[in-house]
Amino acid sequence: MIERVHQLGRWGCRSLESLGDAGIFLVQSMFGIPSLEGVRLWLHQVHFVGVLSLAIVLVSGLFIGMVLALQGYTILVDFGAEDALGQMVALSLLRELAPVVAALLFAGRAGSALTAEIGLMKATEQLTSMEMIGVDPLRRVVAPRLWAGFVALPLLTIGFGVVGIWGGQLVGVQWLGVFEGSYWGNMQASVDFIGDVGNGLVKSLVFALVVTWIAVYQGYALVPTSEGISRATTRTVVYASLAVLGLDFLLTAVMFGGLS
Amino acid sequence: MTDTPFVEVEGLHYARGDTSIFRGIDMAILPNKMTAIMGPSGTGKTTLLKLIGGQLSPDAGRVLIDGEDVHRLSRKALFSLRRRMGMLFQSGALFSDLDVYENVAFPLRVHTDLPESMIRDLVLLKLQAVGLRGARELTPAELSGGMARRVALARALALDPELILYDEPFVGQDPISMGVLVQLIRRLNDALGLTAIVVSHDIKETLSIADHVYVIADGQVMAHGTPDSLDVEQDARVRQFVHGEPDGPVPFHYPGPAFHADLMGSGGVR
Amino acid sequence: MKRSKTMELGVGLFMLAGIAGLVFLGLRVSGLSLDTPESRFELHANFANIGGLKPRARVTMAGVTVGRVESIELDTDWYDAHVVMELDGDLEDTLPEDSTAAILTSGLLGEQYIGLSVGGAPETLSDGERIRDTQSALVLEELIQQFVSNMASEG
Repeated sequence: MIERVHQLGRWGCRSLESLGDAGIFLVQSMFGIPSLEGVRLWLHQVHFVGVLSLAIVLVSGLFIGMVLALQGYTILVDFGAEDALGQMVALSLLRELAPVVAALLFAGRAGSALTAEIGLMKATEQLTSMEMIGVDPLRRVVAPRLWAGFVALPLLTIGFGVVGIWGGQLVGVQWLGVFEGSYWGNMQASVDFIGDVGNGLVKSLVFALVVTWIAVYQGYALVPTSEGISRATTRTVVYASLAVLGLDFLLTAVMFGGLS
Repeated sequence: MTDTPFVEVEGLHYARGDTSIFRGIDMAILPNKMTAIMGPSGTGKTTLLKLIGGQLSPDAGRVLIDGEDVHRLSRKALFSLRRRMGMLFQSGALFSDLDVYENVAFPLRVHTDLPESMIRDLVLLKLQAVGLRGARELTPAELSGGMARRVALARALALDPELILYDEPFVGQDPISMGVLVQLIRRLNDALGLTAIVVSHDIKETLSIADHVYVIADGQVMAHGTPDSLDVEQDARVRQFVHGEPDGPVPFHYPGPAFHADLMGSGGVR
Repeated sequence: MKRSKTMELGVGLFMLAGIAGLVFLGLRVSGLSLDTPESRFELHANFANIGGLKPRARVTMAGVTVGRVESIELDTDWYDAHVVMELDGDLEDTLPEDSTAAILTSGLLGEQYIGLSVGGAPETLSDGERIRDTQSALVLEELIQQFVSNMASEG
């Protein structure tokens, strides 16, 4: 029994310790003096995590918008309220689905790739050799990736939302015959730019920070073997997804739940 | 040439978890000489290099490079000290997102403000020295192991360091590239007058190029001296290692209960 | 070097597309219009019961949206609802002071909004003034109750 308590305590201490390590790691790598070279590296990473994730995010957004319209229509039509379809599609996309689903896809597509890439650099001693050349790998390798994720995910989220609303329009207006004017009109009457679009973007900024942070930290701190890399990649996706869903609840409670 | 050591290791203790790896290592590495550190696998030779390079911190003892205590320097001072050091890694550790040319140019770009034309000259000079000037547009993935190590050598030398650390430079090479590397390291060292530390367990090759040899085992320095003096070393452990005998003070068998007792079984355990 | 040029182009397009998307969300989805920062003015009104009226609800006149509800709070002097409306600046000093504000419902179960109808007095309302003639929201339960009691008294 006492042994169990010991174990729990040890586990607690270790978790706190690694959380602290990750925090120091984040601060050390995020704040450095950017240089021209840094901007180039950052661009490269935006390409890697952003442009290359664009296809999967947009396709998912399209399908989710279409499904929302289809499901929403069958429910709303019972109340004769199918005119509110645009409002329903836009609000659920902008407030919830775009930030959350884009972040989950981002964790799977870009986060795991970041972990594996940094892990491989560690396993092949590239990080150590960079240190021996006198270049801080936190600045050179980690920082551009963190900032790239921070910029790319909100952009991807916007893309997700736009494509989703368009997909909803495709199904709702073109196929199911909702009047086009009321689709857009109701949407415009109910969506608030700051309250809905803005809060969705704030969510996605938070998710971007957390997902990229988890991904690069897992890569940087992993055991440099092939087994270690595969485990860390899995951990990235699991931790990042859980963090996104948990934080989403908190943020929603604060933004829309009337907590203040 | 002076006799003050360039690198001094004093009473170094280091443990990883509960396993103690070094129990009091003392070394003096003379300037402009090639010093070899040898020992069986798993004695922590690479760890020793990492301690010298300041990537790991010892539990006790200190490492002085040119009079400066490596582990007491600030991060910034450590990085500027490392500018005077080159290190050749076991795997080469070339940056996989840069081609050969950019890999060699990397230290020059980050540490100097030289114009592009001068960087080009320097890079080609270094690549010429390792015989890979023609391979400058290849990516690290397209190089063989030996070639990757030669590129890494060119990169390590790019800033004309005073001290160069070689981590297992000969391991896993075919005889030709092994010969090339041995030649290259010796020749470059003589030409540039570098202080070098070679960590290796390739006895023949290492003894053929080193000026001074340390043999470490069991976390301590077993013997040191010139390669010739080691051949006549009386210590049984050193003799076993230098002559590559399979059994001796370093046992062939992993520690366990007596074979006979084990066979007779002790109650159905595996 | 060529590869890195196309990469830079890709990143540039990506970011442009993101900004274009944001503009789309602003204009098309949340209905911001580029010429919004035109002049606006406030009118106040007290209602006995606002029903389900929410901040940001529309304020209309003859069915045309002319502004929105800025805030709703309880007026503790009269224990009724104090509503602040924000209206297009064009209407400032043109509405007669005996204009009426009514809380209406779009459709049977739709959202509630304020409908203004014009009176005939020569004096007009300016910024910060109060519409006195107001008509509360129709609450369905009250209507049903009235209907049932009328039926009962008619026997």
